[in-house]
Amino acid sequence: MPDFKKVFASFLISGAVLGGMGYSTARATDVGQDVMSRGAYLATAADCIACHTRPGGKPFAGGLKIATPQGDVISTNITPDAEHGIGAYTEADFEKALRHGVRKDGAYLYPVMPYVSYAGMTDQDVHALYTWFMHGIRPVAEKPTETHLSFPGNIRMSMMAWNLLAGREKQETGDSSQYDKLRRGHYLATALEHCGTCHTPRNRMLIEKQSQYLGGAPLAGWYAPNITPSATGGIGDWSEDDLVAYLKTGRAKNRSQAAGPMAEAVEHSTSHLTDEDLHALAAFIKQIQPHDDDKDHQARDSLGKAAYNPDLRSGELTRIDNLHEKSGAEIYTGNCAACHGQDGAGTADQYAPSLYANSVVGSERVDNLIMAIVYGVDRKTPAGGHASMPGFGYNSDVQRLSDEEIARLVNYVTATFGSGDHHVTAELVAKTRTDHLETAVSHVMVKTTTGNSTP
Amino acid sequence: MSSDQNLSADVVIVGSGVAGSSIANELVRAGISVVVLEAGPRVDRQHFVENFRNLENKPSYQGPFPSTPWAPHPPNQITPNKYLHTTGPNAEAYQQVYLRMMGGTTWHWAGCAWRYLPSDFELKTRYDQGRDWAVKYEDLEPFYYQAEVMMGVCGPDPKVEDLGSPRAQPYPMDALPLSYAAQQFRQLIAEQTPWRVVHEPQARNTRPYDGRPTCEGHNNCMPICPIGAMYNGSYSVYHAEAAGAKFVTNAVVYKIERDEANKKVTAVHYYDPDKGSHRVTGKYFVIAAHCIETAKLLLVSADEKSPTGVANSSDQVGRNMMDHTGVQVTFISGDKSLWPGRGPLETNVIDNFRDGDWRGEHGAYLVHMVDDNQVDFATQLAISKGYVGKDLEEQIRYLASHTVRLFSHNEALPDPDNRLTLSKTNKDALGIPHPEVYYKLPEYTVRSCEHTRGVFKQLIGLMHGTDEEWTPGYFPQDHPSGSTIMGTDPKNSVVDGHCRTHDHDNLFIASSSVFSTVGTGNITLTVAALALRVADTLKKELLHA
Repeated sequence: MPDFKKVFASFLISGAVLGGMGYSTARATDVGQDVMSRGAYLATAADCIACHTRPGGKPFAGGLKIATPQGDVISTNITPDAEHGIGAYTEADFEKALRHGVRKDGAYLYPVMPYVSYAGMTDQDVHALYTWFMHGIRPVAEKPTETHLSFPGNIRMSMMAWNLLAGREKQETGDSSQYDKLRRGHYLATALEHCGTCHTPRNRMLIEKQSQYLGGAPLAGWYAPNITPSATGGIGDWSEDDLVAYLKTGRAKNRSQAAGPMAEAVEHSTSHLTDEDLHALAAFIKQIQPHDDDKDHQARDSLGKAAYNPDLRSGELTRIDNLHEKSGAEIYTGNCAACHGQDGAGTADQYAPSLYANSVVGSERVDNLIMAIVYGVDRKTPAGGHASMPGFGYNSDVQRLSDEEIARLVNYVTATFGSGDHHVTAELVAKTRTDHLETAVSHVMVKTTTGNSTP
Repeated sequence: MSSDQNLSADVVIVGSGVAGSSIANELVRAGISVVVLEAGPRVDRQHFVENFRNLENKPSYQGPFPSTPWAPHPPNQITPNKYLHTTGPNAEAYQQVYLRMMGGTTWHWAGCAWRYLPSDFELKTRYDQGRDWAVKYEDLEPFYYQAEVMMGVCGPDPKVEDLGSPRAQPYPMDALPLSYAAQQFRQLIAEQTPWRVVHEPQARNTRPYDGRPTCEGHNNCMPICPIGAMYNGSYSVYHAEAAGAKFVTNAVVYKIERDEANKKVTAVHYYDPDKGSHRVTGKYFVIAAHCIETAKLLLVSADEKSPTGVANSSDQVGRNMMDHTGVQVTFISGDKSLWPGRGPLETNVIDNFRDGDWRGEHGAYLVHMVDDNQVDFATQLAISKGYVGKDLEEQIRYLASHTVRLFSHNEALPDPDNRLTLSKTNKDALGIPHPEVYYKLPEYTVRSCEHTRGVFKQLIGLMHGTDEEWTPGYFPQDHPSGSTIMGTDPKNSVVDGHCRTHDHDNLFIASSSVFSTVGTGNITLTVAALALRVADTLKKELLHA
């Protein structure tokens, strides 16, 4: 069983998530510390903060824009402020919202809120979570903008019909901390971490297809890959320790590394789970139904090898105003080789990972490679440090690559280190960027405002 | 005349380096319209990385930047030079290099971001040498910090290592970790000399900062940081553009137009590469075009109203040229291997000769233990010693790991005879005269360099050094300053303490050209701080007018 108290204390010390964010621990003396610690841990495992905090905003005060096919859903303030937050919610009100998607005033929540997953939470955990939200965090008197969707999403009652079709996790019982390893893993994967929200493909009604649980799905320009134990289409070649390392630090050497929405999930949530819980989660994922993939027919991290590129040079220079578009190889040496190596091997400590034996480069789907090049990587974890790769998109200060240059670079990288030349075009790169900004599926946070921020 | 002849803005800035682009960024974010005219082209990093890799002479840090014909810059530090023509007894000591292109010369600098000492602003009062500035350290302190945040400067905790410039705030980022060579050098200095080695403050990331990655120690700061971990002016250009500032590249300003009374600037005129002429009007004008080009522009703008050049009633424009002249020695340590070249280029400084009563006699200086890769030097030395085959390989390995390079930044003084003028014989593709500089090292600097040589000899002895190779004579450190000198008296200075020209109310200068003395430490952070102070002055005047 995870030692909640110890974990909660470590959050405060590490400062990675909770420290310095204004948690009023003093108020916690009114209620049992065990319940509070448990609630804090559950909120982290359920990654509430990911959606309910806008970039630069106060924790849980809402305001994050979440793109959906029918418009932006704006997350709400779930601090205990009575007027702007959920301070007036009783535990029963809270439970109804959390597990059934119904607000205190009776209106239906949009399923951007993963209540179909949270439905699996035990009564005891709902109580702990409620207690922590009421006593463990500081009320914030801020009202985020209201959500306004286009038809039919603007009619909240239509969610009732959706709810009938969608199905939901079966509510668990008893003390979740006493479950055996696999049951605990199942509970973490479904009722808390809601992995399926991103990794399970959806039907036309945007309902998760449970028959293809964790079989992979597109995600606002990114692709949440098949993470079933299929040896060819999934992550069947990963050990339990590989998965634990990935969830704890954001990377598993010679397998993969998290960027985009998964980097956020690792940063805010999985990197703070106890090792015991990470092993439970990994063990559970390793034994779910394997699904082969319709595109990847060989383990994504098994492709490619170090390139032997003798660096022969012309001695010829071009004038400073010569900005002709460069070949894939030139773009690679000019922008990537300094960190990932001319041979693609990455740094000795793999802070800059190797590009061969790398799921992102080995996949037949180039979405994540394009997105990582455009937006970079920014991921902080207590155990893995701060991983950072600059983006090369329109707002990059390091180097702005055109759609055509990114296409050439992607083709060079996949041909040299991974799954072969995909003949990616500038149009596809442009579309991937647009998909990211304008259409998102479901509840993953999508930062629709990009730009240069001065720290 | 082309269609944009009506270009106009509240503030027109000439030059898009660290000074011009940071002013643009500050103003545009305060709602003030800005046009920046850059003589050189828009550029990008991958091109320079590619050029660098194709370059034969790697130590030539001007090498990867072949200039355009309409905005030439010096091709190298060699005298005679195709663009910057230096004359006088120490012509070679003023063979400066700089870059005319978007982002300016910070594309190739080592990121050294020193604040000056309070005493640097009061050399006359304290040591009866040179001049006092018309601004004090305290006036500049908040702008130093603003510049450090903008550029992303790392440096030591003042409680642990006080660099002598009082700080209201800690450095935005922790100091760089010490390289192996730096650790060895530090230990030697601490154990065997009365001196100390300090962390050099650096405009480079020791953590991800402002969307750019952490320095990985590619040892390539000059000529080009391959990953963007080090600040350069292009970031401020991008930030200003994102906020709405207009940048016009390939716009070579050649004339500063004034009103009838010759009190206010009314417009600047620029040539495009085809010599089409364009006029840009504004309420305020800032010349931020580097020390040499700024003076050149004021001089080429001479007309009947200002026969010796704009802002030049004092006859000081182009005079008082200064630099941190350098002494350099490279030798082979007889002690343990140092393996230099694994980290940023310049990170360690002996700062014991930065200030003291002796400044009444000779100039201050910093000693850098340069942490650059020495394979090039080692290879030449090994070949000259006659090694071949496997022995040669072993010798290169030995020498490269034992090479030590020391250089200094020695303080100059303003001397009106050290002067920039317009070349009568050499003109660029647009017909604009090349700059010429007469330079004679001040005795104050010569004495300082002598002192440095003594210190270097002591250090060579301490390290049981052999194969000393002294760089002949004196060499330029690319810190030109003084050409539009600051002062309180309009009769002997060009700008006042706010960098406003004495002659023209709405004309400011943002460049090391305003320095009253050259100070101790690299010049860029002080250029940036003065520029941000100009932005502050302009905001006050434009928003509260």
